[in-house]
Amino acid sequence: MIEVSELTRRYGRHTAVDQVSFHLDAGEVVGLLGPNGAGKTTIMRILAGFLPATSAARLEVCGHDVLRDSLKVRESIGYLPESVPLYRDMRVQEMLDFHGRLHRMGRSDRQRRSAEVLDRVGVSDRSRQLVGTLSRGLRQRVGLAVALLPEPPVLILDEPTSGLDPLQRREVRSLVRELSDEHTVLVSSHILAEVESMCSRVLVMAEGHLIADGTREQLEQQLGGSAGVRLEAYVGLDPEAAVELLKSLPGVTAVALGERLGIHHGFVIEGEGDLREDVGALAAQEGWALRELSSQKRSLEDVFAQLVSGNVADISAAKADAPATPVEPIDNGGLMQLMPDSGFNASAKAPPAKKMIYSLNPFDQGTSRELGAPMEIEDPTGNVKGDEPGDPS
Amino acid sequence: MRGTLVIYRRELAGLFLTPLGWLLLALALFANGLFLYLVLPYTGGDVGSSLRGALGGGTLFWALMVFLPPLLAMRMMAEESRSGTLEYLLTAPVSDSAVVVGKFLAATTFLALIWSVVPLYGLLFQLQGSPPDWGAVFATWLGAVLTSGLFVSLGLLAATSTNTPLLAAFLAFAACLGWILVPSFGGQLLNSLDAFVGTGDLGGLLVQTLRSSLQAMDVLRHFHFSWRMGVIDTAEVVFFCTWPCLFLFATVRMLEGRRWRV
Repeated sequence: MIEVSELTRRYGRHTAVDQVSFHLDAGEVVGLLGPNGAGKTTIMRILAGFLPATSAARLEVCGHDVLRDSLKVRESIGYLPESVPLYRDMRVQEMLDFHGRLHRMGRSDRQRRSAEVLDRVGVSDRSRQLVGTLSRGLRQRVGLAVALLPEPPVLILDEPTSGLDPLQRREVRSLVRELSDEHTVLVSSHILAEVESMCSRVLVMAEGHLIADGTREQLEQQLGGSAGVRLEAYVGLDPEAAVELLKSLPGVTAVALGERLGIHHGFVIEGEGDLREDVGALAAQEGWALRELSSQKRSLEDVFAQLVSGNVADISAAKADAPATPVEPIDNGGLMQLMPDSGFNASAKAPPAKKMIYSLNPFDQGTSRELGAPMEIEDPTGNVKGDEPGDPS
Repeated sequence: MRGTLVIYRRELAGLFLTPLGWLLLALALFANGLFLYLVLPYTGGDVGSSLRGALGGGTLFWALMVFLPPLLAMRMMAEESRSGTLEYLLTAPVSDSAVVVGKFLAATTFLALIWSVVPLYGLLFQLQGSPPDWGAVFATWLGAVLTSGLFVSLGLLAATSTNTPLLAAFLAFAACLGWILVPSFGGQLLNSLDAFVGTGDLGGLLVQTLRSSLQAMDVLRHFHFSWRMGVIDTAEVVFFCTWPCLFLFATVRMLEGRRWRV
């Protein structure tokens, strides 16, 4: 329903949207997630025909080109801007009537649909009220009713829950979920939990780049899959030496020395796969008195915060080192989509280093090879040459 | 076309939904009545020429003419972009030109309504037993309406260039006032130059060309020599229709340009 390819929009020197590509299938509810200023509103305005794109390889809504066939596109879109612009001097019914006329709906059609959409958003009792006297929440709903009136196949909702109280937020969220039966919905938000509850798929934006694209599970698996291990143990008098030892373990990317608890020290070990066994073995070998050894899975919230704060190198390193990942890293149809200069590829530029690692792949569950046997990696970008039997390459 | 009609209806209704529309109508009713009262003794009681004089004869009419269109243009363009409804309108399935033309027609219709006050007084005269020359009064009224269209289009162009309503009104006001004052003051300036340049040399030729082009632009002159006389001159109709077309075209372009600037 929506096809966007290499969309770029500049405001003067500032690039608000940089080479963004994605597509929405019919009936999908997709969330556009990102902090303020990430380019969400710009993308929506471009799709709605309010702003022209600086450049785009392909920009289509319902098969109509947004730039050339703007009116056709506007007919097939229900667009609700963040500010909910409605004429304050009109009554709710008049506003709906005006919108229906603009969409060339007949009188009976307008009356029927007005009653339907007002009922749907739950403001049937306010149809005679002036728009200017409505509260923020009610205005939001009327805006939604206006967008829904001509039964557009595509709905573009820019932060439909901003400025609402928690109860109203919940109502809008459930409304958007209901809409997925009849419409393709692109909805933006800067709150992850909200997008999660409304959308089947999430597009994550930061500083004009699309940095992730996938369902909640995919994102979690892709980005949050790299688990950390928390270790609390008595490691002798020199915790730094223990840190060095832990770092020398295969697959470990970072070790952070946490707080000291009596004679025990806390460590957080980051790396791919489940490192608990390796760390446990090391502790046994070194004779550390173990108090806690637990796996810490990063929540999607953490991943999102990390993604949008630009600190994406960790994730990219984890991704790049992971061999035989079932997902192609850079491919439009893939689950993950990484932009060229988002920092994801930073690790690809690093010289390939050979290292021996143990259980690398969090996804293969030990089916492709014996977990205990070490494996040699030649290229951190994912081209793996295994040396044990059973490896497909 | 249909979009134009929808926008036109909304804008016209919008004018009467706010106090501004009624206030302006009351003001016009008062001003026109006062002016007719002032003009009547000078025409020796000639009802027809008094009515025509009230429409375009004096400063008061032209003051309203440079004052009202900017106000309407401000309301229709700058207010809209300030309150964000321009985003609504420009993402609705209507073309930019339909939006601009719809607003232009609504504002011009409103002003036509304001000038209709004068023929209304004519009707009163008729009832009193002294019927005016209706053809001539109608021609003058038509001239006033077309002139309003010219100033509305100029005001829309000025008001589209900014988001700030007050600045928009001021710009539109300056543009309308300039359109009236520049030809007459420029003409006087050129007259004073006559003493310094010969009639045959290059300077004289330049002054002559400038003078005739200023005269060609002079709305007051155009108005007084045709409409006010009660004459419908096709050349004048063309003059008062082509300028609005040009300004409306520029307004549509500017509205498109705004999409790049927001």
